[in-house]
Amino acid sequence: MRVLKISVLAALLVMAASVAFAGPTYDRVMADKVVRAGVSNQGIPFGFINDKNEWVGFDVDMATEIAKRLGAKLEMVVVNNNTRISFVQTDPPKVDMVLSNMTHKRERDKKIDFSITYFFDGQKFLALKGAVKDVKDLANMRVGSMQGTTSIINATEYLKKLGNPDPKVTGYDGEVAMFEALRSGRVQAITTDSTILLGYAAKEPGKYELVGDFISDEPYGIGLPQDDSAWRDTINFTIQDMWADGTYMTIYNKWFGPDSDYPFPMTEKIEMWP
Amino acid sequence: MFKRHFDKIWVQNLALLTLLGLAFYYFAFVFEFKYDFDWTIFVKEGQYGHMGKLLLGGLNTTITITLYSTVIALVLGTLFGLARLSKFKPVYYFATCYVEFFRNTPLLIQLFFWNFALPYAFPVELRMQLFELNFEFWMATIGTGIFTGAFVAEIVRAGVQSIPKGLLEASYSSGLNFSQTLRKIILPLAFREIIPPLGSEMLNNMKNTSLAMTIGVTEVCWAMQEITALTYHSFEATVAATIIYLSLSLIIAGVLNLVNIKLKIMPSGRKPLMRKVADTIFAPLGLLARGVEYVLWHLRRPADASKTVSPLRRLLRRSRKGFVLAAKAAFVLLLGVVLLKALVAVAGFNFQVIADNFVTLLIWRFPGGSETEFFMGLGGLAGALLMAAIAISGSFVIGLFVGMGRTSQNRALRVPCTMYIELIRGNPLIIVIFWMYFFIPIILKIDPHVFWSATIALTVFFGAYIAEIVRGGIENIPPGQVEAAKASGLSYFQTMRKIILPQALKQMLPALVGMFIAAFKDTSLAYIIGVMELTRAAYAINNRIMIHPFEIYTTVALMYFVFSYLMSLYAKRLERKLSPETVRIEM
Repeated sequence: MRVLKISVLAALLVMAASVAFAGPTYDRVMADKVVRAGVSNQGIPFGFINDKNEWVGFDVDMATEIAKRLGAKLEMVVVNNNTRISFVQTDPPKVDMVLSNMTHKRERDKKIDFSITYFFDGQKFLALKGAVKDVKDLANMRVGSMQGTTSIINATEYLKKLGNPDPKVTGYDGEVAMFEALRSGRVQAITTDSTILLGYAAKEPGKYELVGDFISDEPYGIGLPQDDSAWRDTINFTIQDMWADGTYMTIYNKWFGPDSDYPFPMTEKIEMWP
Repeated sequence: MFKRHFDKIWVQNLALLTLLGLAFYYFAFVFEFKYDFDWTIFVKEGQYGHMGKLLLGGLNTTITITLYSTVIALVLGTLFGLARLSKFKPVYYFATCYVEFFRNTPLLIQLFFWNFALPYAFPVELRMQLFELNFEFWMATIGTGIFTGAFVAEIVRAGVQSIPKGLLEASYSSGLNFSQTLRKIILPLAFREIIPPLGSEMLNNMKNTSLAMTIGVTEVCWAMQEITALTYHSFEATVAATIIYLSLSLIIAGVLNLVNIKLKIMPSGRKPLMRKVADTIFAPLGLLARGVEYVLWHLRRPADASKTVSPLRRLLRRSRKGFVLAAKAAFVLLLGVVLLKALVAVAGFNFQVIADNFVTLLIWRFPGGSETEFFMGLGGLAGALLMAAIAISGSFVIGLFVGMGRTSQNRALRVPCTMYIELIRGNPLIIVIFWMYFFIPIILKIDPHVFWSATIALTVFFGAYIAEIVRGGIENIPPGQVEAAKASGLSYFQTMRKIILPQALKQMLPALVGMFIAAFKDTSLAYIIGVMELTRAAYAINNRIMIHPFEIYTTVALMYFVFSYLMSLYAKRLERKLSPETVRIEM
């Protein structure tokens, strides 16, 4: 009986230790010196698990740098395409910020807040080299994308514009399943943000190519809890500081520079407030 | 004093109403949801399409998969169940392998295997043609069918074996031939044994189809996630999915209940109303069966009038023997070819990949994990076992009390316990995990680690199942013992503790070990919310390596299998120890 009592108490303690307190995020982060970031762990090269079983990626480095500048400890939480919004939407939020290659959309902005754009991407198609001679070919192909993203809707509309009234777009569960579908041939092309496509195409160099132009703009923002302007300002200023002193480009070049595995030239500038 | 008042029904009803009122008051007036409910998303056309139609499409897919996979499971289950009774060893071994392998690995891993690894076994042209045919849907259907088929096979085998050998001997000695014995003696008795567990297996099958979500089939759970992702109204979407699953379960359970009533042997004079309803509903089936019986009776071969056999008939008999022999040979040959192919495939594995990642699969990053991970990064197989052990210990406590509560005479205890059991059992584990993961933290204002969310979900889920086992165990104790205990002045709890539970728990042990196996396999579902258990670890490794899915998923399936199988052997030994008499029936 005593063992039981002790173990119940211990279990309660473990649970109580992780109890979160409600309150404006900025005050809480500054008081606890802990910032919780939601990051994906299956989106190469933004957040993924490398061959040493470490969680790395562009978003991971960004989150680490932001936490460092805030003087807080970083606590990373796994999110996926289906949970990344709801984790900052709940009250109290499960995480203080979400860096999960998330496009800033008005529809999403109704539920949560976003930082300034910290990455510029666009949606493209990836197919076997030589499989798509003309962009019009895509219209009648089986196309794969990811569930929980707007890529499906963008792609369906684009294919309709190309002349197929009833396009076949399948929404797979995450990046891995989507790429696997292309690799095994169950779809002839996959579509999502071009950097993710590059990350997976690099697995088998020379076999796949990006086709066509960008079919949509995908400005990435950091997802933040709604109506917490002190916190939002802090994050925005931090990103701008990182850009101003060159830290941003260091991180960027580590992942997307000309010598990296996923070269993606930087063409735009982050919004700067004087 | 208090106890005597509580015996009155109106006091119990009042207590129930008070509980309900308190809960209502709390959620309506005290608790702040801080969430804007919008149920209209299901009825209006939004920016991304009509969510209600999406959900209905999901329902349609769920029902279709359920129906098809049920048929597959019944056919496979009957075939393999009978094959498990065969005297011809290759058939017996083959069937045993099928049953043990598919029962002891998680359905999720099986689906991954069918969907991701199997296509590579075909030549490219055939693969391309297969992918034209709605491949994911059929893999989900066939995968769940094969999985459920293994369970059905065991039920069929147990049903046939439950017939005492003496009955067969009696029927043979009264001059019935084999087919008559099968039709008149074995099947009617076996059916009574088979139908109830078969029914609950069908219910499980319906719930298992929710896993098809993970390979991109647009069923109810997928639709639920899609709605969450498009409208961010996760609460509404989950409630809708829960209601759909509950109603489906209720419908299936209702049909099963009718079947059970129909099968019960009761005096013809005093039939209750439900039996009459069941009789009318099943009347066409009875007519059909009688028609078949009539035809069979008239088609049966007339008894040989003389001892001499015509040359034609002798030839027929001999060729039949030859045919059976040829069929056996062909079967062995086929089995050999399949085995050889499998061996060649395994020999072609890249064992370096397995060796490199084996430790990771066993313990994930332990002890080198970062501070935010669970227990120094423990995961993989060890994490899954730990999760199952914690969950089953917790659910045993829940199950014990809830099971006792359900058998209680007192309404104020019985009704909430029954509701808990039925509510949880009517839903797939995925849905329970979603509830525990997204909503319980909000309602209770706590934020447990994702490992604990999954463990709590498993605990709550299996608590309901163990409660049913406990109830069965308690109800199996002869009522005379309770009366004797009461007469000798023991209180309710004394009776339970000293008399009923010691006996009931002993009977329940094999079933409890079975539950532990089920919980261990179901830890694989924690993958969905990102717990780094075995399945998620495999997924992460596959995500990184990409080009060796066969190696990784086979290894993981074997790891699950070894542990589950060892435990199921233990359960079987326990069962044999507790009930020594099993006579194998010869067919």
